[in-house]
Amino acid sequence: MSHNDTIPLYQSSQSDIDEIENMMSNNGFQSNPGSVLPARPPSPTRPSIPVSSSSSPFVQSNLPPLPPPSSSAAAPKVTPVPAPPPPSSGFGSAPNTLTEPVWDTVKRDLARIVSNLKLVVFPNPNREDPGKALRDWDLWGPFFFIVFLGLTLSWSASVKKSEVFAVAFALLAAGAVILTLNVLLLGGHIIFFQSLSLLGYCLFPLDVGAVICMLKDNVILKMIVVTVTLAWSSWAAYPFMSAAVNPRRKALALYPVFLMYVSVGFLIIAID
Amino acid sequence: MDPNQAPVENYANPKTCLFHVLFKGAALAFYILSALFFNSFVIIFVVTVLLAALDFWVVKNVSGRILVGLRWWNEIDDLGESVWKFESLDQESLARMNKKDSWLFWWTLYLAAAAWFILGVFSLIRFQADYLLVVGVCLSLNVANIIGFTKCKKDAKKQLQQFASQTIASRFQSTVQSAFTLV
Repeated sequence: MSHNDTIPLYQSSQSDIDEIENMMSNNGFQSNPGSVLPARPPSPTRPSIPVSSSSSPFVQSNLPPLPPPSSSAAAPKVTPVPAPPPPSSGFGSAPNTLTEPVWDTVKRDLARIVSNLKLVVFPNPNREDPGKALRDWDLWGPFFFIVFLGLTLSWSASVKKSEVFAVAFALLAAGAVILTLNVLLLGGHIIFFQSLSLLGYCLFPLDVGAVICMLKDNVILKMIVVTVTLAWSSWAAYPFMSAAVNPRRKALALYPVFLMYVSVGFLIIAID
Repeated sequence: MDPNQAPVENYANPKTCLFHVLFKGAALAFYILSALFFNSFVIIFVVTVLLAALDFWVVKNVSGRILVGLRWWNEIDDLGESVWKFESLDQESLARMNKKDSWLFWWTLYLAAAAWFILGVFSLIRFQADYLLVVGVCLSLNVANIIGFTKCKKDAKKQLQQFASQTIASRFQSTVQSAFTLV
């Protein structure tokens, strides 16, 4: 907790010693990325208390501040804010992610899948800012969609079911990885897992298309459905991919994505 | 009863330990035994990978927390950079952790990864690319957990040492300063 910009709870007049000590404890807590925090309150997703340390990646450090040495004889200190309960009660009552009940974790993950899906695939106001698009990326959604697509294709196939499934899965998984590498090699700025996650979520329309094609075996219908869902998938993936690269290289980044979705579309049409 | 035997510490969280081992074992067993019962590769693939994914989730979110008090995840901050976050219980709670629990946690993690690796070698020898795919997915899930938790543990130790030396340093400073004010 940074004392510099939060209002002390107690209107204690700070002596020089207090200021020096507080500065020391603040410097001590400018932890590096990836370092461990003692157990802290929940919602690793969004911060609720603004903290001044903009250099540190920890946007929410709801830590109790370094407890001032109690043996000091100096003037009364600014005491810690009451927000987080003391970490020593870790096993029972503290509301942090380390001790939350299992059901809460499940619900949180499921909610995240749904919200990611809505963000990516359906029109919404945040779409133009790709950095926000999949801030809480997760790979569960993509995993389910890829497996579901493979299963649907395999079910529709009358022969060689295993090969169809294996090919679909490998194509989609390897394709997502290669497409991400493609963007990175073009000098774009994306984060590997975020991009995998996005490409996986954009498969949702093709999943829907595959289910429809499985149910009705009419070739014309299949072509229409596949075209529509293909366009939807590409539209979903477009803002993220195009914003990640240099504008002159946009086509180079987008073309392989489109190609992959087209090949999946062909798989869907061709299976009978 | 042997009077010389020291009291054996029991598992503190038997149900969690059971789940920790259950999905791993089920995935391995299903993969190995399935060839006897199922002809279809698809079912083998889907069930094995599903069990492995469930195991990954259980280890990362449940048994990691409860058995060894560690947790790791990845976030993307406001600047769009990816940050790996680690979280651990404080020193007192960590010291209170059941030794048997943490032994079980780490060893089953390593053993499962080794088992998948061996199975992978087998399928490589037999030139079965599709089974290699299954093994590859399961192995990568296991390895991800191992790496995540190992990093978390190392960071927890480092943080504790930093915290301890900081407390000592600040205590020393304040004692010295208060000594000067009193003078």
